[in-house]
Amino acid sequence: MERILDKGQLGDWIAALDGWEVFAPVLQDDVWSYQPVRRATDSVRLNHPNTTQPPKNFAFPQREVFFTFEQIKGEAPRLTPLVPKSEQRVIFGVRPCDGRGLPRMDRVFTEQFEDTYYQARREQLAYVGLACNQPPGRNCFCKSVGGSPVSREGLDVLMTDLGDRYLLLAVTATGETLMRKAGSLLAEPTGVDRGEAGRVHLAAITHPQRAVSNTTSVPARLKANFTSPLWEELAKPCISCGICTFLCPTCHCFDINDETAGSVPLRGSRIRTWDTCQFPDFTMHSSGHNPRGSLGTRLRQRVCHKFQYFHENFGMFQCTGCGRCVTGCPVGIDIITVVNQVASAADLPLTGKG
Amino acid sequence: MGDNIYLPKLARVIHIKEEVPGERAIKTFRLEFMGDDGFEHECGQCAMLSIFGQGESMISIASSPLVTDYKQFSIMRAGRVTSAFHSLAVGDVVGIRGPYGNSFPVDDWRGKNLVFIGGGCGLAPIWPVIQTAVTKRGDFKNISVFYGGRSPRDIMYQVELDKLRSTAEVHLSVDRVEEGWQEFCGFVPANLMSKAPSPDNAIAITCGPPVMIKFVIQNLRSLGFRDDQIYTTIENKMKCALGKCGRCNVGKDYVCVKGPVYSWADLKELPPEY
Amino acid sequence: MINPQDLRTRARDLLAKGEVRAVIGYRRGSRGMAAEPVVITRPDDANSLVWDPTCVHNLALYLVEDCKQFAKVHQHPEKPIAIVAKGCDARAIVVLLQENYFKREDVYIIGVSCETVGVLDERKLAHHPAGVDLERLESAAFAGDDFVFTTASGEQRLSAREVMADRCLECRNPFPKTNNVVFGEEKARTLAAPFAALVRFEKETSTQPVRWSFWNHQFERCIRCFACRSVCPMCYCDECVVDSIAFAVMPDTTAEEKANRVRWIERSASRSDNIGYHMTRALHLAGRCIDCGECERVCPVHIPLRLLNTKLERDAREKFGYEPGASVEIASFVSSFRDDDPNDFIR
Repeated sequence: MERILDKGQLGDWIAALDGWEVFAPVLQDDVWSYQPVRRATDSVRLNHPNTTQPPKNFAFPQREVFFTFEQIKGEAPRLTPLVPKSEQRVIFGVRPCDGRGLPRMDRVFTEQFEDTYYQARREQLAYVGLACNQPPGRNCFCKSVGGSPVSREGLDVLMTDLGDRYLLLAVTATGETLMRKAGSLLAEPTGVDRGEAGRVHLAAITHPQRAVSNTTSVPARLKANFTSPLWEELAKPCISCGICTFLCPTCHCFDINDETAGSVPLRGSRIRTWDTCQFPDFTMHSSGHNPRGSLGTRLRQRVCHKFQYFHENFGMFQCTGCGRCVTGCPVGIDIITVVNQVASAADLPLTGKG
Repeated sequence: MGDNIYLPKLARVIHIKEEVPGERAIKTFRLEFMGDDGFEHECGQCAMLSIFGQGESMISIASSPLVTDYKQFSIMRAGRVTSAFHSLAVGDVVGIRGPYGNSFPVDDWRGKNLVFIGGGCGLAPIWPVIQTAVTKRGDFKNISVFYGGRSPRDIMYQVELDKLRSTAEVHLSVDRVEEGWQEFCGFVPANLMSKAPSPDNAIAITCGPPVMIKFVIQNLRSLGFRDDQIYTTIENKMKCALGKCGRCNVGKDYVCVKGPVYSWADLKELPPEY
Repeated sequence: MINPQDLRTRARDLLAKGEVRAVIGYRRGSRGMAAEPVVITRPDDANSLVWDPTCVHNLALYLVEDCKQFAKVHQHPEKPIAIVAKGCDARAIVVLLQENYFKREDVYIIGVSCETVGVLDERKLAHHPAGVDLERLESAAFAGDDFVFTTASGEQRLSAREVMADRCLECRNPFPKTNNVVFGEEKARTLAAPFAALVRFEKETSTQPVRWSFWNHQFERCIRCFACRSVCPMCYCDECVVDSIAFAVMPDTTAEEKANRVRWIERSASRSDNIGYHMTRALHLAGRCIDCGECERVCPVHIPLRLLNTKLERDAREKFGYEPGASVEIASFVSSFRDDDPNDFIR
């Protein structure tokens, strides 16, 4: 289902989405972030580059309280699960790279062992995406990892900016529901509209972008270079912060900790928080043994997880080419360069074979 | 929406035994599910045990699946959660969720000779297989158990191992000899070589400190065991036990889901990062 | 003005003659105009070294990392390591020397003076009315009192003052006084009053409720990526007191020690724990922070962290007459006292 919406009527469409909590990108504190739209007062303009943080936070927040516990020694504890209420939320302005992040998170959280908390937040989450007309950012590389500036994957609606109006394309049944709420605000697209959209999409797709090269052979080439000394060399400037992974639309590592509020009786909560394979003690055993105790092994984990392991398990890269890790890295570690360099290094003998 | 995968069931501690004293103390706990809420398990699987307020720890279920009254866990005091376990008393209630991970293909091993090689606390993860094999004794051929500790005091399951001698070969060893010790003195891999079990129609199952496993596998192969005749368990730091928190992977496998049980044939295909 | 080639020649010589075992410097990055840190060990690699307005990083961080690597294997390097250091970076090295993190002879400081200009603040450039397209920039260069930006289609020249980092505008010590060799001249820079950003902020949030509301809002946004801590050379503790998880486990660490590890601040990004994290970290840097501004630059959500650190720096200056990183001869701030230290604020 395709329709045309006048740009000036975007606010009216949003106002018609009764029953939905609406979020849109806003420039606040000098960063672009998704903020709730309070219909009466806010005007949504969708003129953002991309948000600093991806929309994965909606389904997978930094802090998730699993349950509270209260226990007297010798007795059974009282556990109170705090599963969030499933709410209808729609996020406007989601870029195709971020849209593709959601199905990848779904593979992890909803297949084997469905994650109750993730599912509650995700099941009524809708993405109204915005195609990327403008030339890509310096570090965008969605095309080389199977995406595109006009990809619909993970989105419910794809909007294309045609200057004074948007072409709306319903991708899912939910997207169609959202569009139907606009009622008479929407018009049938004309031949001119479709032609314009086609031109805009073609221009977007043909904009030059940085690229991961020879992607079909990347998983095997990374596997062959597991022991390459390049990993330590490329990781040398790394400061082991969490920026690359926390800003990534598909990274999902987390920690679970008990935070106590009182000891007699024992009271507290079990809480999930974001964690990252880049922190030095992420894989540290209680014995002090750390399989990934060096910068190189941790860089290798991040890169291979995205470009090899996830591919071996699910047949797709876990990277959508949004470029946030490249732009955000305080010291310039660049995943595109890393993958290209390691994958093109001479093959090394695989160790571990008996 | 199904069960809440992060919400533990509850179990009461019905029995505590001090296996090994000292700095690296090991205690064996028997947990009984509270109410009707429990689960069955297979040999090799683990459970996430909770001490509320401290956290969770992934521990191998050490009792055989044939035992339904309780689940047994042998826990070495190593850090925060395990220390809290060592402070428990009979009657205390803990959390338990599981069973997690894959299992030893015990059914495939019927009619075979079983060679068990354990060290330190590593006897516990393979104990369910030993108990199952001994309970269904007729299903299996020769059973031998190689097990050692640093000193006689570090040998766990001493009473149970003695009971085994009537139906299986038990070869104990200690790294450091002490007065009165009658059996082998030296490391477990050396004890294995000195007895040189035959690889014919045999399966070897080993678990223990990483360095022991490395040499045991080397020795088994030199004795003629094929890679698919050798089974072990690997461990990594774990938090979710559900293949989601991203922490325990070796290559593409999350050990909490695809492991902990691996044949050497499969394990050697994974990157050497554990 | 510094000729970058002089820098490269010196680095090459030091390595070729075997006077140093490595040089920590800047090189061109792969993601546009920004420079990135590099550690070179071969004389030929000196060709890759650059010196331009995008050389913002405080390289002293890598001295700390280098020390830790040697400490892990209980060794001491035979030769010193060289480091390219701006004025601020050199003061960071002085603080590390005051704290005996390494010895003076272990480091060969190649000082670089930013003279009358400092380094670039990319955010200011992004907002500048000249509308420079950051996505297309290929390089930036010093040109007297200006910065010159180059794209594929040509050059754009801006007055450095308009896009310099705030910390550079306020900097009173742009010349790296502690050095083994220095490039560039010692020139006075009086572009903004010291602590100008802090004073502006205090005017804008002149009542306590307003200021508290401001900081509550800021700490609500923190995602605990720990980049601020990771990028700070002075945050070198293996075990951070405001991170309940980081724990330096050695083979002989007992179970009891692990069990008794106190969790002062939890890892989850609750507003109150975020406040505890940032406030405690700022206090632990009092008298040690030399205002390189890196913490604020790297924060992905743009929390104005400099305000916390410069507030304490001003307190150290005004209450105790102490300037962080001024001279190796002076003891570190919190580990020393003088009989005439003011105490009228102690109630």
